[in-house]
Amino acid sequence: MQKYEKLEKIGEGTYGTVFKAKNRETLEIVALKRVRLDDDDEGVPSSALREICLLKELKHKNVVRLHDVVHSERKLTLVFEYCDQDLKKYFDACNGEIDPDVVKSFMCQLLRGIAFCHSNNVLHRDLKPQNLLINKNGELKLADFGLARAFGFPVRFYSAEVVTLWYRPPDVLFGAKMYSTSIDMWSAGCIFAELANAGRPLFPGNDDDDQLKRIFKLLGTPTEDTWPGLTQLPNYRPFPMYHVSTTWQQVVPKLNSKGRDLLQKLLVCYPPDRMSAEDSLQHPYFVDVNPSVK
Amino acid sequence: MEHFNLVCLETDVAGKPQRAIKDPVLLNDKRVLANLLSTEDKYLPHTNYFNCVQTDIQPYMRKMVTEWMAEVCSEQKMEEEVFPLSVNYLDRFLCIRDIKRTRLQLLGAACMFLASKLKETSPVSGEQLVLYTDNSITLEELTDWESQILQLLKWDLSAIVPNDFLDHILHRMPLTKSIQSAIKRQAQTFAALCATDVKFMVTPPSMIACAAVRTALRNLNCDNGRELLTLHDITGNDMDLIRDCTEQVEQTISNCMSSYSSGKQDSHKQEQPTTPTDVREINIMSVDNHQGVPVIF
Repeated sequence: MQKYEKLEKIGEGTYGTVFKAKNRETLEIVALKRVRLDDDDEGVPSSALREICLLKELKHKNVVRLHDVVHSERKLTLVFEYCDQDLKKYFDACNGEIDPDVVKSFMCQLLRGIAFCHSNNVLHRDLKPQNLLINKNGELKLADFGLARAFGFPVRFYSAEVVTLWYRPPDVLFGAKMYSTSIDMWSAGCIFAELANAGRPLFPGNDDDDQLKRIFKLLGTPTEDTWPGLTQLPNYRPFPMYHVSTTWQQVVPKLNSKGRDLLQKLLVCYPPDRMSAEDSLQHPYFVDVNPSVK
Repeated sequence: MEHFNLVCLETDVAGKPQRAIKDPVLLNDKRVLANLLSTEDKYLPHTNYFNCVQTDIQPYMRKMVTEWMAEVCSEQKMEEEVFPLSVNYLDRFLCIRDIKRTRLQLLGAACMFLASKLKETSPVSGEQLVLYTDNSITLEELTDWESQILQLLKWDLSAIVPNDFLDHILHRMPLTKSIQSAIKRQAQTFAALCATDVKFMVTPPSMIACAAVRTALRNLNCDNGRELLTLHDITGNDMDLIRDCTEQVEQTISNCMSSYSSGKQDSHKQEQPTTPTDVREINIMSVDNHQGVPVIF
């Protein structure tokens, strides 16, 4: 590891500390993610293994680049491209205002990253602002693939241990384990609304029930008619029939009508009706996206 | 206030979890299949290592170790891809490094260890794998070989296996749902059988998938004479090559059946299940298992 000079600690990842560092030869700035292997009879943790094996395959400008893996006696170091901040920090620093063109650019890049992962048989499963990195050039990159998995078919039920509460779709909240690409699309919708509102989370629930209530108050409580199979889900429980009383204009006042239309197509309770990443990119909202993003 | 912790909703389900539904977004997206086809060659073992790399390992030893691996995967009810994936790691490792026969089972165990971690929600434990070798390896050796494999294969573990193609192929064939699942089950069995046979070592996974599907169609009398063309249209594989490969798969199945029945006559001690008289009864993933019996050469 003499190749890299550690500069500062930048955070804690899913399974270890992340440092900013400099390649002594090329002077390139990188992010080092440490994974300790000691006291572990199970060898390389599966989350680290997946992240490395999947990221090695995913070479796309909207997916964080894994440059190198250094495997030493008791630890593993993942060398990533460095990004200045994540979307969470970007929100904190934006003072409640994000230019609509920037919102569109970020959303477009997010969807491209997701579409690329999905076309390569990879689900991210934990999309949230903290896992979206942004560099100086305004490029957005998907990161932290510790929970991601490749899904060859057939896939068994995935672990429900996925997706931070606020970005978790109602099907997963009801205990469905049969989700697939649609899980990432719900998260993308939540992030879209949060971008449009300059960092105010759309559904900041405190627990599963509160999370579902917040969702249903906005979208209406689903029924067996709007969502076939709903009542059969493992953790299904009835919720009050909320009347939709807020308009999308109230929810995302700064987003134009095309953007609101896209948002509504992503935030659909019934998973098969949620729009795919590839289709979302064809949505009229992106017709005039900044050419530098295109 | 931080709310970013992951809340686990999963409760322990008795038995093994059921399968997820197929995702139409992925099956209908042509790029997914195109990506699989364009990357499959990257992970093929590049040589028949018995002639040029290995000084001790013989083809029959590969057969023994892979059959043992199939039994362990079956016993542990691992996901279907774990077995072919771990055989892929084993072959690629053996293309590069010469090892002694006494280390072959350790290598096989370490390959399963890795494939299970990559593919399964709850991976098999190292301890469990050590038990399956009848304690002929240690946990330390297992993790040590795990890192050797990772370094030698440069962490390129997302290999493509025949199973990855089955749904994509069947989804594009005019079959009823029940036939489709019957064909799939058989094709999976045939593909697993191919993984234990040296002659398929350097055959691309999509080719094995085509041949396995065609064999299953013929076996279940669902063939209509047009499937060669259909398989060619779906995967782009040459029709003559698919035909040849199907013959080889059928040969492998018949070899397996005859060794199965002769095995019954020869061995007095082993209690074999009833001799299959029909390929439909063969299931390599569920040959009666001798749990914990190590591979002894």
